[in-house]
Amino acid sequence: MTMNRRRFLGTAGATTTLLGLSGLPLRAQGGTLNVTAYGGVWEQAIRDCFVAPFEAKTGATATVSLGGPAQWLSQVEANPEQPPLDVLIMSPDLAVLAAEGDLMDDFTVEKLPNLQYIPQEFTDACLGKGTYFDYGVGGITYNKQIVSEPPRSFADFVERVSSGEFIASVPSISYGPTTVFFLWAINNALGGDVDNVDPFFEAMAKMKDNLVFWAGPNDFFNHLASGEADLGIYFDGRTWNHVDEGVDWIDFINPEEGGAMTAVAIQKPKNASDLAWDYLNEVLDAGNQAKFAEILNYGVTNTQVEYSEKLASRVTPLSEANLPPYADIARVRNDWIDRWNREIGM
Amino acid sequence: MRLSDIALWVFTLAFFIFMILPIAVVVVISFTEAGYAAFPIPGWSLKWFARIFEYEPFIDSLITSLWLGVVATVASCLLGIPAALYLSRARSGWATVITTFLLSPLSMPMIVIGFASLFFLSALGFGISFLSLAIVHTVICLPYVIRTVAAVYRAVPPAYEEAAMILGAGRFTTFREVTLPLIRPGIAAGSLFSFLTSFDNLPVSYFFGSAQTNTLPVVMLAYMEHQFDPSIAALSTLQLLLAIVALVVADRLYGIEKMTVAT
Repeated sequence: MTMNRRRFLGTAGATTTLLGLSGLPLRAQGGTLNVTAYGGVWEQAIRDCFVAPFEAKTGATATVSLGGPAQWLSQVEANPEQPPLDVLIMSPDLAVLAAEGDLMDDFTVEKLPNLQYIPQEFTDACLGKGTYFDYGVGGITYNKQIVSEPPRSFADFVERVSSGEFIASVPSISYGPTTVFFLWAINNALGGDVDNVDPFFEAMAKMKDNLVFWAGPNDFFNHLASGEADLGIYFDGRTWNHVDEGVDWIDFINPEEGGAMTAVAIQKPKNASDLAWDYLNEVLDAGNQAKFAEILNYGVTNTQVEYSEKLASRVTPLSEANLPPYADIARVRNDWIDRWNREIGM
Repeated sequence: MRLSDIALWVFTLAFFIFMILPIAVVVVISFTEAGYAAFPIPGWSLKWFARIFEYEPFIDSLITSLWLGVVATVASCLLGIPAALYLSRARSGWATVITTFLLSPLSMPMIVIGFASLFFLSALGFGISFLSLAIVHTVICLPYVIRTVAAVYRAVPPAYEEAAMILGAGRFTTFREVTLPLIRPGIAAGSLFSFLTSFDNLPVSYFFGSAQTNTLPVVMLAYMEHQFDPSIAALSTLQLLLAIVALVVADRLYGIEKMTVAT
């Protein structure tokens, strides 16, 4: 076959058309909602607990985008007039940033009837432009085979790790939530506040010879499994997930001072489809949240939810967790990271 | 045994310990029967390989990654080969400037390219789409094609093409019959690097991820952050196998030696 100019141009045109057809920009469309989820078991839980009832009630469809809050927020920031996503799952700090940037819609009971069952403080923590629907608590996870009498408080944890009784695995600064569920939580327990984090850095200086750092949650488990560490700072839900997978040698303690609540927020970008309200209402529904909690081993925020006996013994009650002041932390977060890099380095 | 031989043995041993063993551990973990990643493994099982095919996002994103790798590689070749041929022979200062510009994605942090491209392509109306991904992946793959093709082409004496033209061949015939066969190892090497660069890329693909455009590395990251099972190890083993097959095929077709000379 000879390739003359006309044939070449024709082929190129057809190729471009095909590429264009399969590569149309993602936009929120009439009967389709673009929602978000973390990967793995999270994604399946989102589909089963929220997407399925939403589709059944509205007759609309929802596609699920896997990824993370920073990725989704960037995509909305780049396309504020036509956001590619209709519902965002956000970390509390980014939820505050998104709200402050006026990128998100206000949450009201008129739009979301189930919002009345969510504690007002969770909506306030998102500056009224979102709310929390799921939460975990950062506390002390330990190897039961090595640690017979684990520390019951953060203060005890610091004392005994400093003395060399335990090697502890703690989050490094490269893990996003570290500033909240580790730095703020221990600082708060030791008498500091957002504007005074000396107690935390003094504690770290005392413990430094007996610490190993984890960069991602899976590292923590590897530290304990390999014997590199005896205990450490981790999340309740993740600990129970390991137990359910057959790891029978770990356990979790919510410290006496109360661990920091690490929540998951939901938000609706401005100019996103109004169908998002129907979906969000399903996310806040007590029945759907109860099912979600059973799958993930994490607490949920609807006050009408009744946990199963097994889950009730695992979920840290809201009253025993501390809600970090995310907006205040966002203000000083860079200073904390800078000080961490100078004094700790990991 | 001479000191240099001992040093070589030590180096080889260190290479195996620090480069090969961690990969071997991942491969072994992919065959564990346990529900979590730990070494040594308590027993053998293929269930994590089965999990790859059960979890739809793995397969969907694998198809996206394969398509994207092919599209970005073809586009890089279409743009990169003519550019490399021209720039290799050009003597003007502009040629150096343009070459540096075309190779610049190699020296820029990928995350910066991804973030900047997201806003740039969104402003142009391309948004979060496969087309946007293909454009950005072409940008990051282009340097590999240009470098390898240019390196091979510079080693080809201009006299070969001049002789063909003196004997009556036109520009296109000269390219097809003389230049193309001579630069083929460079194209093969560039295409292989280009495909693997696209296939493994995370920082750029991350910003363009959606239900329709998520690539395998983006889905693997999302999965790893919230799931603890060894299916990622199984997937890594399959990827490793894919890379080995690609290298073997390339070796059979062109010879790895020629291709590495090209770089």
